[in-house]
Order: sequence, then structure tokens, then C-alpha cells
Amino acid sequence: MSRFLAAAAGAAALTLTITGCSAGAGSSAGGEGGEARTDIVVAHTAEPVNLDFTTTDGAAIPQALMENVYESLVRIDQEGEIQPALATAWEISDDRLTYTFTLDPEATFSNGDPVTAEDVKFSYERVQSDDWTNALGAKMDVVDSIEAPDEGTVEITLSQPSNTWLFNLASLVGAVFHPDEVDDLANTAVGSGPYTVEEFTRGQQIVFAKRDDYAGATPGTLDTVTFRYFDDAVAVSNALKSGQVDVIGNLQTPELTPEFEADDTKQVAVGTTNGEVVLSMNNADGIFADQQAREAVLYGIDEQAVLDTAWGGYGELIGGMVPPTDPYYEDLTDVFPHDVERAKELVEEAGIEGEEFRFTVPNRPYAQASAEIVAAQLEAIGLKPTIETQEFPAVWLEETMGNHDYDMSVINHVEARDLLTVFGDGYYTGYDASRIEDIAADADAGTEEEYNEGMQEVARTITEDAAAGFLFLFPNLVVADAAVTGLPVNAVSDSFQIYDLAWS
Amino acid sequence: MTVPTAPTTPTRRRARDLTFLVGLALVALIVLMALVSLVWTPYDATTPDPAARLQSGSAEHPMGTDRFGRDTLTWIMLGARITLLVGVVSVGIAMVIGVPLGVLAGMTRVRWLSGLIMRGNDLLLAFPALLLAIVFSAVFGAGTVPAMIAIGIAAIPAFARVARSGTLQIMSREFVSAARSANRTSLQIALQHVLPNIAGLVIVQASVTFALSVLAEAGLSFLGLGTQPPIPSWGRMLQESQQFLGSRPELAIWPGLFIALAVLGFNLMGDGLRDRLDPTLRGRS
Amino acid sequence: MRALAFRLLQFVLTVWAATIAVFGLMQILPGNAARVAAGMSATAEDVARIEQQFGLDRPLVVQYADWLGGMLRGDFGTSYVTGAPITPLVANSIQVTLILVVSAMVLALVIAIPLGTAAALLRGRALGTILSGLSQVGVAVPNFLAGILLVMVFSLGLGWFPSSGWQAPIFGFGGFLSHLVLPVCALALVQAAILTRYVRSAVLEVMREDYLRTARAKGRTSGSALVVHGLRNAAIPVVTVAGVQLATLLIGAVVIEQVFVLPGMGSELVRAVANRDLLTVQAIVMVLVFLVLTLNLIIDLLYSLLDPRVRNAA
Repeated sequence: MSRFLAAAAGAAALTLTITGCSAGAGSSAGGEGGEARTDIVVAHTAEPVNLDFTTTDGAAIPQALMENVYESLVRIDQEGEIQPALATAWEISDDRLTYTFTLDPEATFSNGDPVTAEDVKFSYERVQSDDWTNALGAKMDVVDSIEAPDEGTVEITLSQPSNTWLFNLASLVGAVFHPDEVDDLANTAVGSGPYTVEEFTRGQQIVFAKRDDYAGATPGTLDTVTFRYFDDAVAVSNALKSGQVDVIGNLQTPELTPEFEADDTKQVAVGTTNGEVVLSMNNADGIFADQQAREAVLYGIDEQAVLDTAWGGYGELIGGMVPPTDPYYEDLTDVFPHDVERAKELVEEAGIEGEEFRFTVPNRPYAQASAEIVAAQLEAIGLKPTIETQEFPAVWLEETMGNHDYDMSVINHVEARDLLTVFGDGYYTGYDASRIEDIAADADAGTEEEYNEGMQEVARTITEDAAAGFLFLFPNLVVADAAVTGLPVNAVSDSFQIYDLAWS
Repeated sequence: MTVPTAPTTPTRRRARDLTFLVGLALVALIVLMALVSLVWTPYDATTPDPAARLQSGSAEHPMGTDRFGRDTLTWIMLGARITLLVGVVSVGIAMVIGVPLGVLAGMTRVRWLSGLIMRGNDLLLAFPALLLAIVFSAVFGAGTVPAMIAIGIAAIPAFARVARSGTLQIMSREFVSAARSANRTSLQIALQHVLPNIAGLVIVQASVTFALSVLAEAGLSFLGLGTQPPIPSWGRMLQESQQFLGSRPELAIWPGLFIALAVLGFNLMGDGLRDRLDPTLRGRS
Repeated sequence: MRALAFRLLQFVLTVWAATIAVFGLMQILPGNAARVAAGMSATAEDVARIEQQFGLDRPLVVQYADWLGGMLRGDFGTSYVTGAPITPLVANSIQVTLILVVSAMVLALVIAIPLGTAAALLRGRALGTILSGLSQVGVAVPNFLAGILLVMVFSLGLGWFPSSGWQAPIFGFGGFLSHLVLPVCALALVQAAILTRYVRSAVLEVMREDYLRTARAKGRTSGSALVVHGLRNAAIPVVTVAGVQLATLLIGAVVIEQVFVLPGMGSELVRAVANRDLLTVQAIVMVLVFLVLTLNLIIDLLYSLLDPRVRNAA
């Protein structure tokens, strides 16, 4: 202890000295001039609590590990299209039940072993076992059997045709593990991707190192990539401004975007995500069990004003639960235009004028900002929302999502193609899922064209039933040093791809 | 260096009164803002005005507007309410619990009882306001009420200590012995002799605690664990202003300034009161 | 000697009482830890299974005994949320917090002692009044406001120091120091203002003591008299206050760690609260409470060591 105190005292004394003559003490981490850098630091706000997405929920772990460390048979590219990854090709049987994948013969795990069909079989059967507790594992429920006829071929048979399945396979449920390396997934990650986890300091950073023996589809460029995690959105911006980080994965302080846009040493790219900021209403219970009441809300909301004030105008109005990067996207913003008079009429018809209701809001910047302006707009049409801030995740998950104890809420549903989950049976929206279940099932089992048409109908039905408000599509605001290239601008898969990052 | 001439008593008293008056004026300003806000504010607090976003000070909006186009002056006025509410409630809790405990510990002749009270005090001292408030925000959810209660509970030991030491002094006085021999009950003695005589000390402590609770509430709200939107609070305003530091520093400066003024006001008032009320300090600095 | 043993026994009992208080508080947490761990799309069965896995379905007394026994062995258990052992987390974050807090206290004393002494000696003069006034204003500034302003000026404006983050000394001492400067200053400046007031009044108190009057009467200047006789006596209350303030700083650092994104106990605590990482919250609160109690003990012991009057009275 005393040695420690002495060190601290020394540190304080030196601090003083530096403060006294700090003109020369500045440090620059910028990448201007000289040799091109081989490392990069990327800032994120959501941190992974561990490295194991098979048992831990949340977007942060797959964001760091998928495609970079772990690979699936297929991946989703920046345009939302399915591309080869560990599988170089695949065939679908005529009955649309059996998928035959040809594995990349060059693919190896970072421990040197080749990736074999048995490894794929092991990994995908594991998703269906009790070892895998992440609820997203349900995406593999449709798989009936997995066969490995030879080292380089995997045959997967579904219990019923499913258009969604191959798409889902690109997400974390498709990750291929080494059978000997799954005992301590929380702390170690051995995959077949272009990078390895060199260092993981919980709550602070992950350091990725490039694999020189990687021979797959997406080889890395930079030797070292660091993800640094910040709790505070403002601190992230400050870190970029003072040169401590080179890239901000998704800026959570949109009001600062113009400042970065005006700065020649920085670049701003506005991409899309799969995140729909949903104004959810409890369809099953309370004031919003009445469709008229929900329609009143939807006519009463001016989504553009919400987007402008809450998120600096960045993002897109969509009017439905489908992002424009999905094949079955349709612009549904005209179903419930902003019409205060109509809204007031509906409020009167529904007999809910002045009736108080609970508006539970997770304590996230986008949600709180959206809620404040939505509440003001609803007051203008004669409704009385009572905003109740709930901590996210703990309280919101328990009260609003778990107990359905709410009337209205606002949350960014970030998962890809999640409309059937969010408006599925028993989910907190309380939507009458029988309205869409059959259409969705037919679509999933049909041809690709039938699928897209069917899903479009599902999305339209949800919007027309006024099941929820769709405030805006969450933007992906990537801010970086102007010299950085290969930025993954669109966040349309689970992953933040690091392999193309480079310095110009 | 030469010997500084000892200041004459009138100058010192004047300085003391000045301290008190400045403190009183600042506190009065905050109270006035809160009172006025009950009947009138320049604008409605919750109605956004997208056309007037992020304006700097003007005739219409003397302190400018925030990202929703809401009037900052209105928010500062409403924030004064929460600041005072938190202070009054937490000081009230601390005083109502702490003073009787302190008096009891000072008056009782049962050694284990006074020992128990003071050890309980020590235990409570190990939970400083902010720590207790963070735990409370986890237990009862983040909000103004848990924050006030936590800050209040954390301040109990300070009042208990002041009350106890004051009581011990009073109990050694002759008039207490006289009252005792006149068969007055302990309660009568406590109410008639002890409380009036320690009131000054308690009021001074209340003023200092008030300042501390303003700081604690601001810190908690800054962490997002105190007052929740849409209720205006200075600490929260400060937190939300952070992303505009580069473009609109006023958004941080106004709430920051008023937090500092409130704390300064209550501290100065406490200092001034201490000198005026505490007989043992009379005539000293 | 008996008094010392008694004080130590008292300390142990208080710490024990604190463990019960902390454990009890945690039991009323809303937001089921298992539910949070299970995630957004979990079913009731998922939650129940995880509860069982963590042993959350056991009787409270068993859970408490388990926790207390673990702590006595220096093991805070394994977090439900992260699946990682908590002890290394506490060990790492406590270093950051202690370095921050102790550096800030040293810096604050270095500023406060000369300023406070000067303010006392110059009492009644313009400069003395200005010094006391400044210290009053300094006390009123919340440390996070000071932190924000320091970042604005010295990091974003002048670019001298990083705006946030932490670098362990083993990865470069220069980087370690440059990351430390702003948070330490934010804590220390406010603290210095508080201490300046105490130093000032302690010095004033000492100046009134008889021996100083005597010394002055013998023709010494008050400055040299103070140095020779007074400072040691003035040190007693200042040491006491500095000790108490160290505890305040420890908690005040919670906010500063957030502003500067430092991986200290405060950041871990706030994060654990948000994640309902029950065992981690419990561990960090307990360690902080233990530190505060230990500081109080040390102050008490130091005080009775320094001041014979107290020693005799006890």
C-alpha cells in the first residue's frame, strides 16, 4: 500500500510539472504524413460483456466477432445481399428443403486446423442443443438434419421450405466453431475469420490481429484493429476530435455531425441499419387496445419533426417495419399522414380525450429525445401521456417487454427482418398475430418472388392495423479520419466488418 | 513580512454580515425563481418549437433555446423548483431523524444506547450520499424521490453529531441541572432547554447540507440516475448540453452557473449564520 | 492498548453490519438479473433456467453466507451477466480509482496549504479576501462541470491532453500521465478549494493560540512564528479533514470517471447497476464502503496519535 501511495504521489507531482509546461506535452495520434499506418482504432458505444454470443444476448458481441473472427457459410454484404463466405457455392433442391454447401477447401481455423464439414455439423447441432442459450438460436429450429457426406460438403435439410433461413444463416447462428475450442467462449474466440482476438479487456477494448494464414473470401488489410468502448456518446466524439480514435462506428450524438462534416480532416458517411425506431403501443390492453386510439396517435405524429429534433434529421422515414435494404421494402409513410384534424376527430370518436396513459421510455438518448417530442405532439391532439423513464436494459426489459406493463413505449428494434418477432404472438406489442401468421407462413414456404410479395403484405397489414408507429429508420453515422478507407457504411448485418479498413 | 494589523471588530462584523447577505440574496433569487415558475414561466416547458431550435440569447429567449426549441430560461426557473425540493426534503429527512437521535445520544445516561446510536451513525457515514443514491436508484429506479431520500439518509450522521455535541454542552450548564432538580422530565428538558439552544447549530448544518444536496442531485442527474425527463433539472440540462459544447456552450453554462450560485448561496448563508448564531464562535472568525 | 483493541473490534463489527446492509439492499432490486442475462427475446422458461444456473433460487441466508465466505477468501464470485470472475475486475478498477483519488488529494493539498495559509495571514487585506472568495466559489463548482470545462479548453481547444480514456503505466508512463492530468485536475481543483478553507481556519485558530501571541510579543513576525510553532498544530485538523475528504473524493470520482471514461470503480458501478449485475454491484459497493470505513479508522488512530488530549480523553 505504501509503495502504491508513493507512486500515486509521484504521479501527482509529475502531473503538476506537466501542467506547468504543457506546451510541449501534446500528443498526436493522427495519421497524417509519413508511412501509412497499419493499425486503426474504432470507437463503439455498446460494449460486449464477454465474447460468447451463444449464451449472451446483445448486439455488441456479434458486432465485434462475426465475419471478423467467426465466419458462417454465407454473409450479408453492404447492399443486404447474400454472398459466399465459408461456403464457396450452394445448391437448393427442387422441393426447396435441402441445401448442399461446398466448403472453401483453403479455409482454416486460427489454431491451424482446416474447417471441415464435421465442424459445421457440430456447430449447427450445438445451436439446437442446451449449450446454446441465446434465444436467437430459434432461427435454426427449422433445420431438420445436418449431414457431412464428405469433408468439403454439408447437406442441410429443413423441415419445411424457408426463404428466411439462408438469410438467417448469415447471422450469428451460422458461426462455425472448432469443436475443441468451445469450452471458454466467454474469454477465447477461435474462428476461421481474417482476424483473431489478441486482447480483450472487458469494458475497455478488443484488439484484433490479422491472420497471415487466412485464405478465405475476405482477407484483412491492417495488421491491428482495436475496438475501444465508451459508455458516453459525447466522450466518443471528443476522442475522435482529440485523435484518440480514428473511426466512430455509429455516432450517437447526431447534433455533432455538421461539425464533423465541416471539418476537412474528417469524413462522415450516413448509412442505413436494420433498426426501426418503433413507437410501440400495447395492442392487447388499455387505452390502445382500440384501433381508433392507435390511429389517432399515428395521425397525430409528425415523424419528420421527430426525426429532425430527436436525431438531427439523420435517418429515413419508412412508415413500416421494413428497412429499404430488405427485398420486400415498400414506402408506407402515406398510410397515416400527419393530420392533426383527423387525429382530433379520432380521439373524440374513441372517447379518449384527456385520458392519461403510461409512456415508458428506455433511458437511451434517441428514445428519450423522441419521446419528449412525441409526447408534446400527442398533447396537441388532446391525449395525456405520462412519460416514465426506465433504465435500459434492466427495468425496460422487465416492466415493458417482460410484463407488458405499459401503454406506449419507444425502442429501436435492431435485429434484421424482425417484423414477425416484434408483431408475433405473445410479444410485448400485443398485436393480434393471427392477422399475419398465415400470410407469413405461405411466404416463407413459397418461391423467392412469393416470399417478397407475401412479406410486403405482412408489413402493410401491420402498418394499416396501426399496430405501432414507425418513427424513423435509425441511421448509421460513421465518422472517421478523412484518410480511412473501406468503412462499412451500412450496418445491415450482425457485424462491423474490419477487414477492408485501410489508410489512403 | 510585517505583523498584520488586527482588523477592528466593526469591519469584521461588516464582512460577516456581507457574507450572510450575499448568501441570502442568492438563495432568495433561487427561491423567487421557483415561486414565480409556479404561476408564470416565459414559455411552456414541454412544448417544442422546431422553428426556434438552438438559438442563442435574444429578446424572445434571454438564455436561448435547447435542441427542442424550448426556452432555457423557463427550464432554469423550473429547475430551481427541483433543486429546492430536493434540498428541502433531504435536509428535512436528515434533520427530523438526525436531531432527535443526536439529542437522545447526548442526554441519555444509558451508555449502550448512546453507543449504539453513534455506531449506527458511523455505519451510515460509510455510505456517502452519492453511493447511497446510486444504490437506491438501482433498488427503487432512478428518479427524484429515491435521490432525495438517499441524500437525506446520508446526511443524518452530520445532524446527529452536531445535535449530540450541542446537547452535551447544554447538559453541563447550570440551568439544566436546575431543571433536573425541579423534577422536569427529560422530554421537557429536551424541548424547553436543549432544542432552543442547539437550534442555531442545526440551522447552520441545514444550510451546509442543503448546498451538499444540491451538488449531489446535480451529480446524480448528470449520471442519468437522478431526476428523469421530462422534469427539468439543472444537472440533467448540463448532461444533455454536452454534445453542444462546441456549438452552443451557453446550454452548459446556464445550468452550471445556477448550480454553482445555489451552492454558493447556501454555503455563504451557512457561514454567515454560523458566525451570528453560534455563541461559542461569537467575536471570533 | 485496550482502547485500540476495542476500536478494532468495533471496526470489524461495523464492516460486518455493512455487509448485511449491502446484501439486504441488493435483495430488493427490481429488474430480475436472470431476465437481463436472458435478453430481449427470452421466454419465461429461459429466465427460470438461468435463475437456477446462478443459484438465485436458493434461500437468502445461503446466498449471503456464500457471498460472505467468498469475500473472506478474497473471492467476489462470478458475475451472472458477464460470466467472468468479479475479483480481477475489482482489482483492476480499484487501482484506477485509487491512483486518481490519491493523486488528486496530493495535488489539492499542494495547492491548498500555501493558499490557505496565505489567506489566513492576509486576512482583512484585499488579497486575502480574494483568496477566500475564490475558495468559496471553487467549493460551489461541481467537479463534473470542472471536468467538462477542462476538456473543452485543454483537450478540444488546445489539444494538449486526451479528452478521455486510461492507459496503464506499464504501457508507457507518458501516456499514463497525459491521460491522468485532466481528471486529476477536475477532482483536485474543487477539492483544493474545500481544503483551502479548512487550512485557512486552522491557521487562524493556531494564530490565536497563546504561544503565538507570546512569540509575536517577543518580536517575531507572524510568518516565522507560524512556521516555527504553528504549522504542526494546524496540521492536526487539516489531516483529519483531508482524511474525511479522501472518502468524499472516492465517491466523487464516480462522476469524474464517467466524464473521462476511466475504467475505475465508479464506471464499473454505474455499468453494473445498468446491467443489474447484482453481484458486481454488491462487490463494488462493499469495497467502497470498506475503504471509507478503513479511512475513518486510520483517521481516528492518527488523530489520537497526533493529539495527546484526545488520546488521554479516550
